[in-house]
Amino acid sequence: MYDIAADHAIALSTAIVLLLFLLVSVRLLGFLAARRAAWAVRFAEAYDAASPITRVAAALMLVSGAIHLALVPGHDGITGILFIIDGVGFVGLGIAAFITNWWRRPAMLWLTATIAAYVVWVIAGWETPDQVGIACKLIELVALGLVMRLNHPTRRTWPRRIWRATAFPLITIVMTFGIWVGGLAHPDALHAHAGAVLQPVNAVATPEQRAAAARLLADTKASLTRYGDPAVAIAAGYKPGPVSAADPLLHFQNPANAHAILDPNRPQALVYARTPSGLRLVGAMYQMPKVGQRGPDPGGPLTQWHQHEGICFSPFGFEFSFETPFWTCSVGSTSVTTAPMLHVWIVDNGKNGPFAAELDKAVQRELTRRS
Amino acid sequence: MSQTPPANSAFEIASVLVVVQASLSFVAGLSALPFGIVEPGFRLLGVLTLLIAAAMFWLARGLRRGRRWAWGWLVTLEGLSLAITTLLSLLPIGTMRGPVPLLVNLVIPLSVLVLLAAGAADRPTQPGPADPA
Repeated sequence: MYDIAADHAIALSTAIVLLLFLLVSVRLLGFLAARRAAWAVRFAEAYDAASPITRVAAALMLVSGAIHLALVPGHDGITGILFIIDGVGFVGLGIAAFITNWWRRPAMLWLTATIAAYVVWVIAGWETPDQVGIACKLIELVALGLVMRLNHPTRRTWPRRIWRATAFPLITIVMTFGIWVGGLAHPDALHAHAGAVLQPVNAVATPEQRAAAARLLADTKASLTRYGDPAVAIAAGYKPGPVSAADPLLHFQNPANAHAILDPNRPQALVYARTPSGLRLVGAMYQMPKVGQRGPDPGGPLTQWHQHEGICFSPFGFEFSFETPFWTCSVGSTSVTTAPMLHVWIVDNGKNGPFAAELDKAVQRELTRRS
Repeated sequence: MSQTPPANSAFEIASVLVVVQASLSFVAGLSALPFGIVEPGFRLLGVLTLLIAAAMFWLARGLRRGRRWAWGWLVTLEGLSLAITTLLSLLPIGTMRGPVPLLVNLVIPLSVLVLLAAGAADRPTQPGPADPA
């Protein structure tokens, strides 16, 4: 669900290069200070005088600043200008941590404002949350937590104590929900529904692609006629998957077909609807052998593969929930990304068509009501 | 007013990371609860996650105050978390894809473990009232 935007990838390499640069710089500073270079001695003294928390917080702010500045070329208008201001501000505060005493409050305000601005931008739909943005917020969040630890309160009243104990977790929780709400409210064009991401294709199908899609549908229908009875499917090597109370569809998978690629005679799975009168075959599911592979799409936009990601899978009872933007799942479940898949529905799938990622809800209701 | 001993820097940094982990677990636990309406297992998993998040907040507080039991529990939890992450990343289920899962599931637990080990040398020796050791 949260990928790396193409124009954000450079920020990752920038962050890694900066971290290496900082490590080398600290070594070099020590070396030059030992040789009594006056400016190096001053910097080395300031660095040595700073607490480890200050050093880590400053390094994290420098990384965040570098990420923001690296992202400027890919962002126009007000966002680009704010990235410049933000980046310069973080670099300034990262350096100020070693040479002044007044940097803590401005750093807290700067970090909080940046995190809040990101959440506002995401909820408003002005920025799509991706892994670079979320990783950057995580870095800023840790920096904020460290700077907050450095602020020693002069008055220790109970309201202040409670605020100190809850402010940081509250910011983290509000930020996570904010990114989540923004991501779900403004999904990009490749999201069929929450958790399913479509493989990119050309916008309009060519006549050849239309013919290929029709051929795939006809071949799949012809191949599936023999599996109307689930017992025949089981005899052919298909195994029924786990039953979920939340899903009226049941997938029968055949491990022997795992390496077949879009072969109508050897689909990876058969999809049955659980109707009051028993199982009814409604389609087939083709699946690539591995996560990250691109599925062949002879029908172009008509046969668009999808993969499920951003879901938490629990092996205890085979249940699913959504993972948070920080890729965390509840205890006992784990983040799962499926290999790309293509469904071919042999029943009328309404306006969604025969290759949609999901069987239309109205069709599902009709099937499960019919006896 | 009782004075707490000054915690060492490694433990202070580790406690901030643990609070981040606890907050993220708290959100994960809360988000699992709505799924409990149709997925009964997630009712239990959601509540369990919230309890673990609450325990982690408590452990972070204990670590800042130099409690031995907090250190011991955190080493166990982070070690377990790291071991599970390593095992899951070996499976072909796409658990670790990109910088965010890498930071949250690998870099942060590893950093906490390193900081706990680094801080252990000059660990304050206040066992605390609930020290089982």
